[in-house]
Amino acid sequence: MIVEMRGIWKAFGANVVLKDVSFAVRGGEICALLGENGAGKSTLMNILGGVLPPDSGQIELDGKPVVFHNPAESLHAGIGFIHQELNLINDLAVYENMFIGRELKQKNGLLDAKRMIQETQQVFDRLDLKLDPRAMVRDLDASYKQIVEIARALMMNASIIIMDEPTSSLTDPEIERVFEMMRALREHGVGIVFISHKLREVMQICDRYAILRDGKMVAEGSVSEVTTDDLARFMVGHDIRTMALQRQHETAHEVLRAENLSDHKFFHNISFSVRAGEVLGITGLLGDGRSELFQAIIGAGSDYSGQVYFEGKPIKVRSTTQAVDYGIGYLPRNRKENGIIKDMSILENGSIVTWPRLARFGFIDRLRQNLEFDAQVTGLRIKLERKTDLITNLSGGNQQKVVLAKWLSTRPRLLILDNPTQGVDVGAKEEIYDIILDLADEGVAVVVLSSEAQEIIRVCDRALVMYHGALQGEVSGETMNEHDIMRLATGATLN
Amino acid sequence: MMKAANKQNPQNVFSWFGGMWSSRPLFSTGMALIVMIVLQTLALGFNFDSFGSWFSTWWQNWINILRNNSGIGIIALGMTFVIISGGIDLAVGSTLVAVGAVVMVLVDTGPMGILLRLGITGTPAILISIVVAIILGTLLGQLTGLLITRGKLPPFIATLGTMKIFRSVTQHFMTGYTPAVPKDFLNIASLNVGGQLLMPIIYWIIAAGVLYIVFTRTTFGRQAIAIGSNERATRLSGVNVARIKTRIYALMGLLVSLSAILQVARIGSMDYANAGSGYEMDAISAVIVGGTSMSGGKGSIVGTVLGTLIIAVMNNLLNLLGVPPFLREAFKGVIVIGAVLLQKKENNA
Repeated sequence: MIVEMRGIWKAFGANVVLKDVSFAVRGGEICALLGENGAGKSTLMNILGGVLPPDSGQIELDGKPVVFHNPAESLHAGIGFIHQELNLINDLAVYENMFIGRELKQKNGLLDAKRMIQETQQVFDRLDLKLDPRAMVRDLDASYKQIVEIARALMMNASIIIMDEPTSSLTDPEIERVFEMMRALREHGVGIVFISHKLREVMQICDRYAILRDGKMVAEGSVSEVTTDDLARFMVGHDIRTMALQRQHETAHEVLRAENLSDHKFFHNISFSVRAGEVLGITGLLGDGRSELFQAIIGAGSDYSGQVYFEGKPIKVRSTTQAVDYGIGYLPRNRKENGIIKDMSILENGSIVTWPRLARFGFIDRLRQNLEFDAQVTGLRIKLERKTDLITNLSGGNQQKVVLAKWLSTRPRLLILDNPTQGVDVGAKEEIYDIILDLADEGVAVVVLSSEAQEIIRVCDRALVMYHGALQGEVSGETMNEHDIMRLATGATLN
Repeated sequence: MMKAANKQNPQNVFSWFGGMWSSRPLFSTGMALIVMIVLQTLALGFNFDSFGSWFSTWWQNWINILRNNSGIGIIALGMTFVIISGGIDLAVGSTLVAVGAVVMVLVDTGPMGILLRLGITGTPAILISIVVAIILGTLLGQLTGLLITRGKLPPFIATLGTMKIFRSVTQHFMTGYTPAVPKDFLNIASLNVGGQLLMPIIYWIIAAGVLYIVFTRTTFGRQAIAIGSNERATRLSGVNVARIKTRIYALMGLLVSLSAILQVARIGSMDYANAGSGYEMDAISAVIVGGTSMSGGKGSIVGTVLGTLIIAVMNNLLNLLGVPPFLREAFKGVIVIGAVLLQKKENNA
């Protein structure tokens, strides 16, 4: 079987995510679909999987044009889509998950467990898989869950399987197990689309590659003819110019030093330091553990081993309240969930951290609250009508500035910014970069966490790249480039 | 487009009404109360000799309403803090009984009276029992708060448990024991003010005023709302969420103990099996009718006072109309559902 997508266009509002994309995968091959976050990989596969309709373009199965209105139709046609978040129910047995929504029944209407177990076993036998159909899904490790999903797709006669970042939450031995399974499927003539950020894995398992950048298919070919370097360059593109905004920062004493931090889950053996007046970037791909690392440091995450020094003194922050007292600010990622308090006014959102400092006998000094916030509004050029309006009345960029304002008003000595330009428009992005650089000039130690390599290059003096919870390498100054960052982030090393 | 046009045309009463309805959170609540009062006034009738005698009947009726609902009104104020921070407290009725029992044992003028046996009588005994009651109520609330924050229990579960415990233990220890409450203690509630028994109403007004200020002006009050709106963001803003939550339940306990003192002082005795039962639901109803969101983050003290009054006036109205007692609860249910439906409309507008 061969699936061909031709001339696919797709836009969400004014945002065109796929521009005339063509893509094909045939039975018996594993094809890597690569691209940076937002390149359009998921959208393309969602169209193939019947989740989204294309604006134009067509899909052909063995030369016959088809239209999928929903995932069921796509699956019926033989295309199985295994999402990153697995669709298994932990509290049911493996065989029950295999037949969910289309359970086999006896004549009297009761479930026919015997036949379901039998059929599940048959599929497992065909795949040489030693797994008890009666096992509870909860007890399986992540790789077997992935494999159960694959088996389910096969049971429904899928001959093309889309796997969206299947290895992102797996350990190395688990990854190897899934790869074995994928090789076995290839032998059986199944075609696999493998979406991944990890170029080493692509080199290891895939036959062909296809690379999307900004909604366009920019490169395709056989994996044996390229190196991870080439792939990284295709993903980033030659033509993207990134002007570094960095200036000569006068760095002073060390503000934060971390030694051998591990939480044995999200990050391992992390050591680094950041000085006053410095902008340190931390980057990597999904699942690199950078957010978890810094949330642990400020007392809002998991417990860790290792030692943190703040301005030379060993500390262990147990709560965010303590972090504020030390002079550490943390602007969280995902503004909507972690940053704004949607039922409160702009003024209150912009001053919540300083309420205890503004209060006398528990009463908030409204005059000072207003004066301090007004100063931030001017300083950050926040555009608003009335500060008593709800925060949700503001645009994304202005909301982010208000969240930033609440931290700046604490006069932090260390400011950690997690994805500071997420969901803000280009203009506001540049303004936020300026604010970051001004802060560094004033002697604040700034840490910028970001998955956008361009952003790191633009504002940071140097950057640490994380891969799977470990520090993979460091890039700094003039030599920082997207290519090196991408290589480190995908698990390769610099020469 | 219609909306914009309406705004420029304020002389249009209907559009003004619609605008207020959708933009002022308490507008519909206030309207509901006014409608309720008009109906109640009509139900009272105008069949009197003079305006003066009608007015004094009307006024007396109002004082009765306010006095009878002051206890639940005070509890509803605390419940507003609990619900707006995303919690719930089912144990208020049981806490009321427990605190009430302790007060009575303390002031008992019979042979079992604790303070009497210690040789303390009169005003000092009354003051001591009030202080002990307030401390006890606050501690019981604090305990609930710790179960929720330290024990990480859902508020519903934690307070369901304490609800059972507090009442059951009180009933066990108070079986066959009827304390005699001294007359001076009853003065707390029944001191004559201008020829009327206004004390309970005065306590309610003071509590509402104080809590209004706490709610709008203090770090504690604002942080309570922030927690209900987005607990994660609030914690990441350096707020000690566990401490604030514990204090909220302690405040709830404090208000329940005030209500308990008031109840003992009004009645002079307590039915440990039934006193305060249903208070949790009545208080929650008042808070909900007053526009506070069950999921937290939205609401106000003024709303809760209005909500308490709406339910109170409705009860009075049903009474005046001679609606059979068993049917009255049904009307309460209708009011709660109706209020939330109306508020939904507002939010969508």
